[in-house]
Amino acid sequence: MVADAAGNGLAISTRGLVKRYGAIVALDGLDLSVPAGVVYGFLGPNGAGKTTTMRILTSLIQPDAGQVELLGRPFGRGDRRRLFDVGALIESPSFYPFLSGRENLRALAATGAPTPRRRIEELLELVGLLDRAGDRVTGYSLGMRQRLGIAAALLSDPQLLLLDEPANGLDPAGIVAMRDTLRRLASAGKSVFVSSHILGEVRQLADVVGIIAHGKLVREGPLELLLASQATVRVRIDAGDMERATAVLEALAGPGTTTRTAELSATWLSVRLDPDRASDVNRALAQAGIFAARLEAGADLESLFLELTGEPAAAVATEAGPPASPTGAAASSSGPTQAGAP
Amino acid sequence: MRIFLASIRKLVRRPATWVTILLLIGLLVLVFVAVGATYRQTIDQPGARNSLLLLTFPGAYLLVLSFILGLGGLLAVIYGAAIAGSEWSWGTLKAAVARGEGRTRYMLFSFAAIALMVGVGLLIAFAIGVLAALLGAGLAGVSTSGLGDSQTLGALPEQLGRGWIAIVEEAALGFAVATIARSQLAGVGVGIALYFGEQFAGLFLPDIVKYLPFQAANAVVAVGEEVSSQQVVRNLDPNTALLVVVAWPVGALVVSSLVTERAEIGG
Repeated sequence: MVADAAGNGLAISTRGLVKRYGAIVALDGLDLSVPAGVVYGFLGPNGAGKTTTMRILTSLIQPDAGQVELLGRPFGRGDRRRLFDVGALIESPSFYPFLSGRENLRALAATGAPTPRRRIEELLELVGLLDRAGDRVTGYSLGMRQRLGIAAALLSDPQLLLLDEPANGLDPAGIVAMRDTLRRLASAGKSVFVSSHILGEVRQLADVVGIIAHGKLVREGPLELLLASQATVRVRIDAGDMERATAVLEALAGPGTTTRTAELSATWLSVRLDPDRASDVNRALAQAGIFAARLEAGADLESLFLELTGEPAAAVATEAGPPASPTGAAASSSGPTQAGAP
Repeated sequence: MRIFLASIRKLVRRPATWVTILLLIGLLVLVFVAVGATYRQTIDQPGARNSLLLLTFPGAYLLVLSFILGLGGLLAVIYGAAIAGSEWSWGTLKAAVARGEGRTRYMLFSFAAIALMVGVGLLIAFAIGVLAALLGAGLAGVSTSGLGDSQTLGALPEQLGRGWIAIVEEAALGFAVATIARSQLAGVGVGIALYFGEQFAGLFLPDIVKYLPFQAANAVVAVGEEVSSQQVVRNLDPNTALLVVVAWPVGALVVSSLVTERAEIGG
């Protein structure tokens, strides 16, 4: 049983959430703790269970086992009114194609929590669709539909916002505007739960991150702490020097701290180490007669994601460019880990 | 009530509403005017005099209504299926449920809006059908002296009410099929198949088929013996048919509610 929100300050809490589709286990005992008043990035590869979780949180489907609390109170089949305080954009936005953007919002506002008409105009302005609000949504671009979907999610001025891949189809200006809006909502005390597999987006947006793989939470905690735990120094070195370099760096940072990756013709060696010690890495390699072609230091959400989910790099989207291909250390995790936990 | 009014607004803006009613009216006008216009050329052919019944008042009132129940029934099935199916395929039901709307409530109010629109459509089609029959009568040179028959006119509201219930029943059937199938196309397809399947089954199982939705709907409005005598299935009497016709949509909506409540709503 999860404690009251006033006590634990959780916007969402799930315990042992299980969902099966025939033989496929979509969620396998998912335990989420989403603090109130933050932007929570819900990360996971395709098929990890993100959308299934969102569907359960909005009562579209029921879990086979486990408990859910929304905004501090139990949420089950008969608690639909709890969703009056929740706004959601799940998968693609859904609209009547023969209605305009404004009419669609009006139609949706007739369901769920009562919504004043002026709210629709405010939201159309907020998402930059006021000029096109009278046009049929069939004439909208993907990005415009997505913006209308975000407006629809905000209709009831929700305490908790659930967004599934909200940046889908948005142009760069739209992404920045969405990010600003979500940050502003969090600043105003609202809770924002964003599911995504775009790491760059989550990194710029989220305060707290949960990473899901194979229906289980494998890591959860404040983004900065997670990244600090994942700080690495990467060196690009000749493939022939790989064995010796691994030995040198493991002598410096400890056994099992290195990971080899290959990107096109380049070979990289990552060592889990405070980025401030990048010069130590350079010095140790040089003393061993190994000269790095390139050296990078910093926290790396992508590495963390790949390590925890065991995903091939191709499944990971970043804003920075094509993802790396890990060839070395495979992910292994015995269960969810709280970053920053003692 | 908010959902009901919003559903009405949606249906008014929906092309399917206008396509359906215009199709029905177009065919209605075409048949009645064509019968009137061609009567003089076909006067020597067998059955020509029977066709004049369509244009002879006061009987023409009920024949117009009967025509609407026949073809309109098929269109109502398609219409009900299109509305219900699109809620699933467009994901608009999903959006409403995610806002905390009650599934059964949403579904029933949506259907109530359909029922109202079907009633309005019935009245419009009937009025235009009567005008078309008048026009046809004029073209055929048939007297329209029975137009103001007080007995028929007095019974007309009840007959229109019965007709409305019959059309609502047929729309409910399409609505339920599309809800179970969660698909616009499947709902329309199965609805059409049921419509024609029932007529075909009437050849072999007339005692059962008379209780089925389309046959019962046609029997709700009592039409003159001369017209109905060619039917393969012997219809229920109008009052029994009315009970059957009320039972079908109730059942259809109960099934739709159960399916919607228990459904796992995906993409």
